[in-house]
Amino acid sequence: MRDSTLKYLLVLPAIVVVFATAIWPLIESLRLSFTVGRLSRPGSLEQYLGFENYIWAFLYEPAFWNSVWVTTIYTVLTVGLTTVLSLGLALLLAPGGRFRSGVQTLLILPFAMSPALIGVSFRFMFNPEFGLFDAVFGVLIPPLADVSWLVDPVLAFAVCVMADVWGWIPFLTLVLIGGLASVPQDTIEAAQVDGASGWRVFRDVTLPQLAPVLAVVVILKSIFSLKTFDQIFMLTNGGPGTATQTLSHYIYFNGMKYGQIGYAASVAWLMVIPMIFLTYAYAKFVFRKE
Amino acid sequence: MIGRRRKQVMNAVQLSLILIAILIMLVPIAWIFMAAFKNHIDVFQLKLFFTPTLENFGTVFEPPFFLGHKLMNSTIVAFVTVVLAIPIATMAAYSFSRFRLTGETTMLVVILATQFVPAVVIILPFFVMFRDIGLLDTRIGLILVNLAIVMPFAIWMIKGFIDGIPLDTEEAAMVDGSSRLQVIRNIVLPMAAPGLLTAGIFCFIIAWNEFLFALILTNKDAVTLPIGLALFKAEEGDLWNLLSAAGIIIMLPMFVLALIIRKYFVQGMTMGAVR
Repeated sequence: MRDSTLKYLLVLPAIVVVFATAIWPLIESLRLSFTVGRLSRPGSLEQYLGFENYIWAFLYEPAFWNSVWVTTIYTVLTVGLTTVLSLGLALLLAPGGRFRSGVQTLLILPFAMSPALIGVSFRFMFNPEFGLFDAVFGVLIPPLADVSWLVDPVLAFAVCVMADVWGWIPFLTLVLIGGLASVPQDTIEAAQVDGASGWRVFRDVTLPQLAPVLAVVVILKSIFSLKTFDQIFMLTNGGPGTATQTLSHYIYFNGMKYGQIGYAASVAWLMVIPMIFLTYAYAKFVFRKE
Repeated sequence: MIGRRRKQVMNAVQLSLILIAILIMLVPIAWIFMAAFKNHIDVFQLKLFFTPTLENFGTVFEPPFFLGHKLMNSTIVAFVTVVLAIPIATMAAYSFSRFRLTGETTMLVVILATQFVPAVVIILPFFVMFRDIGLLDTRIGLILVNLAIVMPFAIWMIKGFIDGIPLDTEEAAMVDGSSRLQVIRNIVLPMAAPGLLTAGIFCFIIAWNEFLFALILTNKDAVTLPIGLALFKAEEGDLWNLLSAAGIIIMLPMFVLALIIRKYFVQGMTMGAVR
C-alpha cells in the first residue's frame, strides 16, 4: 500500500472515535439546548423554542448565577493556591538531590487517588466528631474548635477548595520540578556570583525562564477547576443549600435529577465558551514549541 | 563561618518544610488506611491506637454491598477501554508523527481540544441516546463514553513517544525492502512498547477513576467502584470503616500502577501538559 493512502487510513479510526465520542455529543448538546427537552416528555427533544433556555438561565434563575459565582471563586482560589504552593514545593525540592527522588515517588500517590475518593476522604477528615483535620484545626485555631465544617456555607466552600488544592499540588509540583530543571544552571550561578540575593535570583532569573511552564500550568488547572464535579458531589453534594454548587453540579442536577435536559444543555454550552478560550490559549503554547 | 552557619539553618528550614508538606500529603491517605482496619466502634472515635481488624474487607463484599460485582465492572470497563484505545491511538499517533497530512494541525488541535470538553456536556446526549437504544446501565455503554476521555490523551502521549524514536532504523529497513506495515510491526512497535505500556496504564487509571459517566449511565448492573462508594453513603449513612475499606480497594491497584510508570510519570505528564 502506498504511504499516501496509508497515512490517512491509519488516522481514520481515531478520527471516527473522536468524532463519535466528543464532537457529535458537543453538537447534539447544542441542538438540545434549543429544545424544550424534558426527559419525561417524549417528543419534547424535538420541540424547538429558540434561545428561551438561555434567556431563562440569564434572567430567571438565581441558582444559575449562584453556580457561576461559586465556580468563578472556586477557580480563582484553587488555581492561585495550587500554583503558588506547588511552585514553593518545587523550589524546595529542586536543589536538594537527597530527598528528591523519594519525595517524587510519594507525590505520585495522590495522583492515583480518584477525585471522588478525595471528596470522601475530606468529608471524613472534617467530620466534627472524629475527623482528624477538624481536630487539628481546632487546636491550631481555637475559634474553629467547635464548628461543623460542612454545615457552614463559607467553611464548606473552604473545605472543597482545600480538597482540590490537596489533590492537585503533587501533579503541578512534578511538572514545575521538570520546568525548573530546564532553567539553565549557569545563568543562576552567574547571578549568584554577582552577589544577587536568593530572592533576586528567583525573581529576575528563574521566574522569567519558568514563565511558559507556569502559563501552561495555570491554563490547565483553570480548565480542570472550571469542570470540577466528582469531589464536590462526594464532599458536599453542592450544599449546604447551594453554597458549593459548581456549574457542572448545577447542570447535573437540572439534567438528571429534574430531567430538564434541554435547559441543562444550554447551561452546559455556556460553560463550553470559557473552555474554548482556555483551550485556544493552551493550544498556542503547545504548538509554539513544535 | 557565618555563611556556613546560615547555610545549615537554611537546610534545616528547608528540610522541615519538606517534611510538613509530605505530612499534609500523606495524612488523609494514612487516615483512610487506618480507618479501614478499625472496627465499627473505633472508627467513630479519634483514635490513633486500636486493635486492627480485617473484617471490613470481608463485609464490603457481602450483601447488601456486593463490592465484588463493582470491582469486576470496573476492571472490565477500564481494561476494554484501554485495549480499544491504545491500538487506535497508536496507529493515529504514528501517522501524525511520521507523515505530513492535509489538515494535520487542525486535527491535532481538535483532538487536543476534545480532551477539555466538560464531561457533563458529553454525557447529556449520550444519556438520551443510550436510553433510546437500551445501552443504559451496560458496560458497553460505559466503555464507549470512556473512549471520549481516553483517546485524545492517548493519541498525544503516544505521538510524543514515537516522535522520540529516531528515524534512521526505519529508513534503513525501508531501503532493504521492508514495507511500511512491516516497519511498523517489526521496528516501531517494539521500540515504542514502553511508551505504549505507560500510555495504557495512564488510560487505565483514568478509566478506573472515572466518576460522572458512571454516575449518570449506571444504576445497578454496570455500577463501577467509585459509584459504589456513593451507594455506601446513600444506603447506610456514613459507614466510615466500610467506606475506607472500599476506598483502599479502589486506591491500592492504582498506587501500584502509578509506581510502575514512576520513571515515565513526569515525562508522560509533561508530554500531555507542558510540551
